[in-house]
Amino acid sequence: MSAEDETEQVEGDRWGVAHIHASLNNTIITLTDLTGAETLAKSSGGTVVKQSRNESTPYAAMQMAEEVADRAAEQGISGVHVRIRAPGGNMNTNPGPGAQAAIRALARAGLEIGRIEDVTPIPHDGCKGPKGRRGRGN
Amino acid sequence: MSSRQVSKAGRGKDWYTVLASQEFDRAELGETPADEPEKLLDRTIVTTLGEITDDFGENNTKMKFQVDEIGSDSVYTVFTGHELTRDYVRSLVRRGTSKVDDVIVVETTDGYEVEVQPSAFAAKKADDSQEKAIRARVREIVEEKAEESTFEEFIDAVVTGRLSSALYSEAKKIYPLRRIEIEKSDVERRPGEAEE
Repeated sequence: MSAEDETEQVEGDRWGVAHIHASLNNTIITLTDLTGAETLAKSSGGTVVKQSRNESTPYAAMQMAEEVADRAAEQGISGVHVRIRAPGGNMNTNPGPGAQAAIRALARAGLEIGRIEDVTPIPHDGCKGPKGRRGRGN
Repeated sequence: MSSRQVSKAGRGKDWYTVLASQEFDRAELGETPADEPEKLLDRTIVTTLGEITDDFGENNTKMKFQVDEIGSDSVYTVFTGHELTRDYVRSLVRRGTSKVDDVIVVETTDGYEVEVQPSAFAAKKADDSQEKAIRARVREIVEEKAEESTFEEFIDAVVTGRLSSALYSEAKKIYPLRRIEIEKSDVERRPGEAEE
């Protein structure tokens, strides 16, 4: 416990990158350094809620963002750039419900928010999409 | 439990300052942690042009740097390319108008091979022949520019938009354009590297 206190609140005006993967079924937040090579903190829906159907809710995203922001502060990160993505590819290209909430919660937790960028993978016409489901008008 | 893991992981890692390539006056880009300095090699860092030049109007250009030399507490990078942000390109594309792209590989006087991808945004739908003429003219000018400039000058012209405005003023004579942007660039080969 005491060892933890020592590492806490390192002096910091360091920046990091918060990668937020928001799908319809889950939200995953990974905080890395600016190069993306070192992971500083991560959290996903399953770590904060009991029922899997709640993993993608804005509330879960808030909890996750707070967790991540705590660890960020421990390591002296004062601001983050946000890279937000939806599943993409031939799946949904709009970020899920957790995206907004996560960014807001990061900001509320005292992290400065830098650039916000959408990094949803867009095919340059890659694979054939999935076939339609019955009775969905497609 | 989990927080203990994190503080353990963070221990024993030093933070290194990442500096931009010499073309950009070794501006400070940020910091990155590593337990062993060798692991820093080849890491890439992306910033915007505005952040390097302290000009807030230039935040639509992403600049890519790759670590290639390691100092005692800072690492040195080389410029490996730039790209316009997706939302900016999307804002330029309009329905019913032509977007004329090309991919051009040129060599600068000091032996760098650079791929540039200019895009011309027309005011209306251009004919095939007009698109071809625009591409031909654009290619001509880009190659000319590369032949008479060093890597540093060329990169500067590309990312600051001087090259694209030169392209615009020439290519608009062929067909009315809204603007020309260099959408992307990539350093393919540096002097001394073997040709593939």
